Amino acid sequence: MPKLIPAGRDRQSFAGIREIINIFKRGDFATRSSFLIMGFGCIKRKQYIKGLLYLIIQVAFIAYMLGFANQYLSKLSTLGTEAMRREWSEARQIFVRTPGDNSMLILLFSVMSILLIIAFIFIWRANIRSCYKAQQYEKLGKPQPTFKAEIKTLLNERFHITMLTVPSLMIVAFTILPIIFMILIAFTNFDANHQPPGKLFTWVGFKNFTDVFWSDPLISNTFGKILGWTLIWAVFATFTNYFFGMILAIMINKKGVRLKKMWRTIFVITIAVPQFVSLMLMSQILHDQGPLNMLLQKWGFIESNIPFLTDITYARITVIIVNIWVGIPYTMLITSGILMNIPADLYESASIDGASPARMFFSITLPYMLFVTTPYLITSFVGNINNFNVIYLLTKGGPLVTDYYQAGKTDLLVTWLYKLTVDKQNYSLASTIGIFVFVICASLSLVVYNMSGSVKREEEFQ
Amino acid sequence: MRKNKSLRLPLVRMLPMIALIMCLSLLLPWVYIDVGEGALGYNAIKLLNSDARLLSIKLPAILAAVSLLLSILTALKPNKKMLILQALLFAAGTISAVVCMLTAKELITASGISIRTFKISHLSYGLWGNMIISFIAIVITLKAMHEPVEYVALSIMASVWLLPIFWLVITSFRQEAGAYTPYLLPKGYTMDNFSRLFTETQQFNFPRWYMNTLVVAIFTCILTTSMVLMLAYTFSRLRFPSRKTFMNIGLILGMFPGFMSMIAVYHILKAIGLAKSLISLVLVYTGGGVLNYLIAKGFFDTIPKSLDEAATLDGASKSTIFRKIILPSSKPIVVYTAITAFIAPWVDFIFVSVIMKDDYQNYTVALGLYRMLEREHIYDYFTRFCAGAVLVAIPITLLFIKIQKFYVAGVVGGAVKG
Repeated sequence: MPKLIPAGRDRQSFAGIREIINIFKRGDFATRSSFLIMGFGCIKRKQYIKGLLYLIIQVAFIAYMLGFANQYLSKLSTLGTEAMRREWSEARQIFVRTPGDNSMLILLFSVMSILLIIAFIFIWRANIRSCYKAQQYEKLGKPQPTFKAEIKTLLNERFHITMLTVPSLMIVAFTILPIIFMILIAFTNFDANHQPPGKLFTWVGFKNFTDVFWSDPLISNTFGKILGWTLIWAVFATFTNYFFGMILAIMINKKGVRLKKMWRTIFVITIAVPQFVSLMLMSQILHDQGPLNMLLQKWGFIESNIPFLTDITYARITVIIVNIWVGIPYTMLITSGILMNIPADLYESASIDGASPARMFFSITLPYMLFVTTPYLITSFVGNINNFNVIYLLTKGGPLVTDYYQAGKTDLLVTWLYKLTVDKQNYSLASTIGIFVFVICASLSLVVYNMSGSVKREEEFQ
Repeated sequence: MRKNKSLRLPLVRMLPMIALIMCLSLLLPWVYIDVGEGALGYNAIKLLNSDARLLSIKLPAILAAVSLLLSILTALKPNKKMLILQALLFAAGTISAVVCMLTAKELITASGISIRTFKISHLSYGLWGNMIISFIAIVITLKAMHEPVEYVALSIMASVWLLPIFWLVITSFRQEAGAYTPYLLPKGYTMDNFSRLFTETQQFNFPRWYMNTLVVAIFTCILTTSMVLMLAYTFSRLRFPSRKTFMNIGLILGMFPGFMSMIAVYHILKAIGLAKSLISLVLVYTGGGVLNYLIAKGFFDTIPKSLDEAATLDGASKSTIFRKIILPSSKPIVVYTAITAFIAPWVDFIFVSVIMKDDYQNYTVALGLYRMLEREHIYDYFTRFCAGAVLVAIPITLLFIKIQKFYVAGVVGGAVKG
């Protein structure tokens, strides 16, 4: 029987606000003053350490807001007005720098401060709750729990708080904060011409999005074509790997094939070698003057070099083929286990009916595999949309063409994003593309999420 | 149960015929020669006697002849051992035909016969024929023995897949400098590439990078493993308000392209004064790795909850259950988590390049090796790049092979049986 989580729990935020209002209505003087002076109720009821901690947090927060955050938050709407200036000082015969605003820091610290404010609100609510709890304990005549006892609950009833605090801080600092920052950047004009502190950037609304879709012909043309190639690439990369990998797995797992472990290890070795090594090696092998071209010429197969990575059509085919080399072992690994789960009697009855191996593959293996591995297929499709390594290490997105904006013919959206960020410092455009990639990946992942039973029936397993 | 099946005799009797065709196909090149300065026989003999290296061109012929003899013997008195020998012989014949085909042009040029007078294409036809027929011969031999023919395809694929890796390893021992050589096997072998990697450190300080990476990897491993296990346990075992919300946020965050935010990460690190330091790398890799807790959670989900309940009745707290019950019974997943976290710093070159910029001393091996292949260094450093890559690849490969089982579980998303 599936156990269900009570529905009310998901409506946390509304319940939270109502709870606070109720506390204010029912609280006595000490509890009510805790709304303004944190920890007041606790201190009054002799929970000194806890109360003082709340008070210290409040003081520190106010000091932070007034002393530090204020100067950034106040400029958030304009992202700064005064750029740093360098003026020739006649008197001192040097350039004097007048420090100005820095849009980047204003935005970064503002986002940080807003996250801190949200965190503070949560602590404030916890403060009110514990003050109210202390009030109720007093009313019932129960002894107040000591600080030591409350710390102890962090190892048992409230163990999740202990466990989540540090990881959440890491995630907030290195994932959430940067992502919010970059999403906001998509609404500014932060590019190579607006580099603070020398030049400030400011809000431009949806200009970057309209640029990408229609208003800037060069960018929207590039975007459309790169998106097209990204999808073509993802389709080819996913399905070639899927089918060939499955065939490899079928061959290795066939009854009667000896040394299964050895075959599997041989193919695993190629994916165990770090990708930057194997792919850079491949790009050297396939170079115009690389060993493959040299050998083919020496063997008399070709007269002149084949531009594996420098001609548009060749390069596109090459990346797909090299991706087969890279990707088949992964599919082999993944499908091996599932193949062994296909009921053997299906094959037995098929062979009694005289079905050929090819027919068995298309009538039994493939439908079964497609049914079981559709989530994996979509995941790997998303993975291929974001397949940075294969493209960047092989062709660097090249061959470059002039009708693309800072991109080449094999560039995917993510490699274009990378180039715009690192080489061209066009952060605002890069962020816009990033958001778009997110939308594609998120909608595909949503499909997977709804399809995979293991998520829906999570509680059943336990 | 495996039945001891008898050999398929009609197939065995076909083998001498096929071996004969194999031999005849080798004569194909001599059928037509665009005679310029002598008769057909003259050129053929001149070719065969011109150079000791021509052994490789004679080898397919010798092997084909031996195969023919053996197949006649086998057909007269069929037994399994002979057939295995036969299959191996055919395989050797195929390989030698391929080698010969690939080197034919060079050998003929070397023997002083110009291509115009001796058409390479004709030689190739013969060798192609030889190769294809010996493939058929292998398949028939395998069929005759009731062995799967998949061995043929698997061998070909295995060699295609291993060839680049093999090339990497032999190039790391190559004596000649330079990026590209017009030949596959090096002319001389040396250990210099490895020793110079560690002695010539003015420009590319490989030992330092290796130590950097090791230090970063160890700390990342400790931090990430503990945090991932904490998150996995919390979401698997503890029930608290907003648990679902937290998990959904985690899912959504994972869908943003990772390096979209790396510039912001760099500025955050700069703001707290940690940019261009190894600590920042540890923080970044940990921050990126923490969200990969779902595999460990899936594993914890499979540990029976009755264990927890029994422990709770005995008065154990949640933290005791985590430390004394869950962790000891999930050794494989702890190893998996630790190894994946350990590998990350060895293979990433994107975040390092953004964070370290031009601070060569604080590079990790991946970025360092990447720099070696830039246009101005590639000639001098290519063999050393290969040597360094081998030194990185060996430990990572061994670790990856150890965790491959869990890799599968991670991608498919199902529960892993411990």
